[in-house]
Amino acid sequence: MNAFVFACILLGGIAGVLAQAPLHDRLERIRADLFSRPEHLDQDVRDLKEILAADPRSVEAHTLLGIAYRAIGTQDLMGESIAEFRQALDIDPSLVPVRLYLARVYLDLGRAARAKEELETALTQAPGNPQLLSLLGESERQLKNPSRAVEVLQQTLKADESSVQARYYLGLALLDLGQRDDAIRELERVVQSSPPVSDPYLTLGTLYLNTGRAAEAIQTLNQGVHIDPRGLELHIQLARAYRTKGLLDKAEAQLALAAPKDGAAPAMSAYQYQQVELDLNLERGFVKLQRGQLVAAGDAFKKVLAMDPNNEQATRGLAEVNRKKKAGGGK
Amino acid sequence: MSGPRWLVAVAFALAQAPDASVRFVDVTAKATIDFVHRSGATPDKYMIETFGSGVAWIDYDNDGFPDLYFVNGAPGSSNALYHNNHDGTFTDVTARAGVADNGGGAHAYKTGVAVGDFDNDGFLDLFVTGYGANVLYRNNGDGTFTDVTAKAGVASGPTEWSTSAGFFDYDHDGHLDLFVANYVDFRFDDNPYCGLRKDGYRMYCHPTQFDGTADRLFHNNGDGTFTDASRKAGIANTAGKGLGVTFCDFDRDGNTDIYVANDTVRNFLYHNNGDGTFTDVAYRAGVGFDPNGKPRAGMGTDCADVDGNGYPDLFVTNFSEELDALFLNHGDGIFEEVSDRAGLASSYIPLGFGTRLFDVDNDGDLDIMVTNGHVIDNVKLYQPNLTYEQKDLLYENIGGGRFKDVSSQSGPALQVDRIGRGLAVADFDNDGNLDVVITSVGQRPVLLRNTGAHSGNWIMIRAKGKKSNSFGLGATVTIETSEGRQVREINNVASYLSSNDIRLHVGLGGAKIINRIEIRWPSGTQQVLTNVAVNQILVVEEP
Repeated sequence: MNAFVFACILLGGIAGVLAQAPLHDRLERIRADLFSRPEHLDQDVRDLKEILAADPRSVEAHTLLGIAYRAIGTQDLMGESIAEFRQALDIDPSLVPVRLYLARVYLDLGRAARAKEELETALTQAPGNPQLLSLLGESERQLKNPSRAVEVLQQTLKADESSVQARYYLGLALLDLGQRDDAIRELERVVQSSPPVSDPYLTLGTLYLNTGRAAEAIQTLNQGVHIDPRGLELHIQLARAYRTKGLLDKAEAQLALAAPKDGAAPAMSAYQYQQVELDLNLERGFVKLQRGQLVAAGDAFKKVLAMDPNNEQATRGLAEVNRKKKAGGGK
Repeated sequence: MSGPRWLVAVAFALAQAPDASVRFVDVTAKATIDFVHRSGATPDKYMIETFGSGVAWIDYDNDGFPDLYFVNGAPGSSNALYHNNHDGTFTDVTARAGVADNGGGAHAYKTGVAVGDFDNDGFLDLFVTGYGANVLYRNNGDGTFTDVTAKAGVASGPTEWSTSAGFFDYDHDGHLDLFVANYVDFRFDDNPYCGLRKDGYRMYCHPTQFDGTADRLFHNNGDGTFTDASRKAGIANTAGKGLGVTFCDFDRDGNTDIYVANDTVRNFLYHNNGDGTFTDVAYRAGVGFDPNGKPRAGMGTDCADVDGNGYPDLFVTNFSEELDALFLNHGDGIFEEVSDRAGLASSYIPLGFGTRLFDVDNDGDLDIMVTNGHVIDNVKLYQPNLTYEQKDLLYENIGGGRFKDVSSQSGPALQVDRIGRGLAVADFDNDGNLDVVITSVGQRPVLLRNTGAHSGNWIMIRAKGKKSNSFGLGATVTIETSEGRQVREINNVASYLSSNDIRLHVGLGGAKIINRIEIRWPSGTQQVLTNVAVNQILVVEEP
């Protein structure tokens, strides 16, 4: 989701910001790097700070540094990303694309109210801008106003029917309203346009799975994995899809890809990752249960319940493990 | 005793011998200080509950002995002013002095304190920071204070969370201006849930959940009022999440600069342009980030020359699993972070707050003290290797830009776990050894007396400005002895939420006399004293 929207924003917005750039060539090089060579991010950050050392009021450098920190993506750096965007806006409050980036980061952090504030300010400067409107729609959805979100997003799509981003958000909002079939239809249109980010594939694949369409789920989720091989949720949902089809070896292979590698456990235990960790253990529990490995299944369900004592699926899973143990099955 | 047994005995005795470190003794009870901090902690985990409160050394009655002012936390709780009775004990004089600061409403949390004589009447005043509740107390000179916040024009906004603050004269007009660091845009009616949704697991939120807010610079108009000059001066950066502030003339151009330690965003170094404006040179100077270019969670800070090259260096305390940062000033506008090679590795796990660079053993160089304590009270549930309460750290300067962790050799008082926040340094008994007071979240503070074992000679300078501000804040003092030359500044603004003794203390090692003291007053006046006796409190008036 994040990368998806971000890529859309980047393509549309950055050129305007850089139009009046001092140190133009150097900034252009960094800009190109930022969007095409993620392995150069650290160097880009260093270069941007050098530029800011020479010119602390360079709006362009502050903006690109915000983008770089956002791309690195750790929580601490999200704060720094916000700080850089805000410094750019302090120097020039009229920069609509920067406000768009800032809103995007706020949304990433679940701070939809702040995102909405920025977007509304930006819309007074660029009324009807479809990118701003589509993020505003998503903000409304995150603020638990799905009807208002649908309204805004449909308005956006009227103005720009090709907006993949708006359509994706519309799918999510329809889902929140309980209109699952409509949501699937919108998300299918998104995926048919082959967006270069994995979130729509994950959302649609999961929806297929929830509606008993395992084969379509496997196909869609595999498309997502192809785009983002490190997408943990994709692997977990794919494991779930394989398990549904009884393909337990494949399911376990996907879970192995989603599991934290040696030394990564502490980070995975941090609260930011709790949902991924929870989903991983829940799925592991069901795969092990299906294999008859009751001890391992029980351990996995207990881990889920340690994180979320009210988790109904884990409670049911653990009850099933205990029932089978009593019946003398499994190992 | 036969040969081998004798050798073993000598080896054992050497192993048991007292080392060269100073000893700190907890004299809080003996001093009859019974203040207890109230954090106001609730299950709602309002972020402000865990950031603690500061402490100040202030000789409010000019009797030559520093008194103590403790800031409390929770709304309705009282701050406390303790008079120093000159015999190792203190008396609570809060009620008479009128500095309890216990009003302000249900969300009026208090945080930090600054000390300075803003009206140049010769008596030190108090500025208390908080959440929407900053207060300026004018010292009436008779043991009482008057709240002049509104009249002076230094009130904060209703949701402004101010932290560390300090007085300094940035424009050389002889009147102390006021810098106030502000933290984040926190609202009690918008308090997100952070941590696992499980009983006991709710945690204080990461600062990323909140926006930064601009710091404030109040220009002293010289008539008891101030003007907010933040934007005009160029220090109103809304990206900041300021927790610590300190002042030094980093480039020795005669103008006092500002360093702000920010939490999870880069730190600011505001170069004083000498025309009432500042330029943030943190990027160029290399003091905004860690060596990998990443921002850290800056908490407390201090500046002073630790390597003897005549330029003030910078020290910043940081989050757990981040090294506290020592930046050496090369004198050319560039700083170099040397934390690891300087021997500060033991600061990696603890979460540092209050700090001070001071000569703990009077050997002629500056040592480092840090008080530690995590911000997440239930951190152990998330990271079993971390604890809320932590031990203080004392680093002895062993020369060559290197330090040695002597915490475990400096007495049992430094072996106590606490939720350390404020830390302030003063020689409260005027014995020449610098003592320390530390505040803790929701606990009693501790007054740590430096017993001065193996200490060298010293001098303490109480500056009296005439054209300059009355206590000489910002003056540069160069001291030359047979053991070398030290360049220091009169600056009580350092640490976290706290204020240190306004007198300048300088350790002299084995020097028996001070050959030369040169004072450059903030007014620009140069003053030279020669052949000054050691081990005295020297009152120096500006010519």
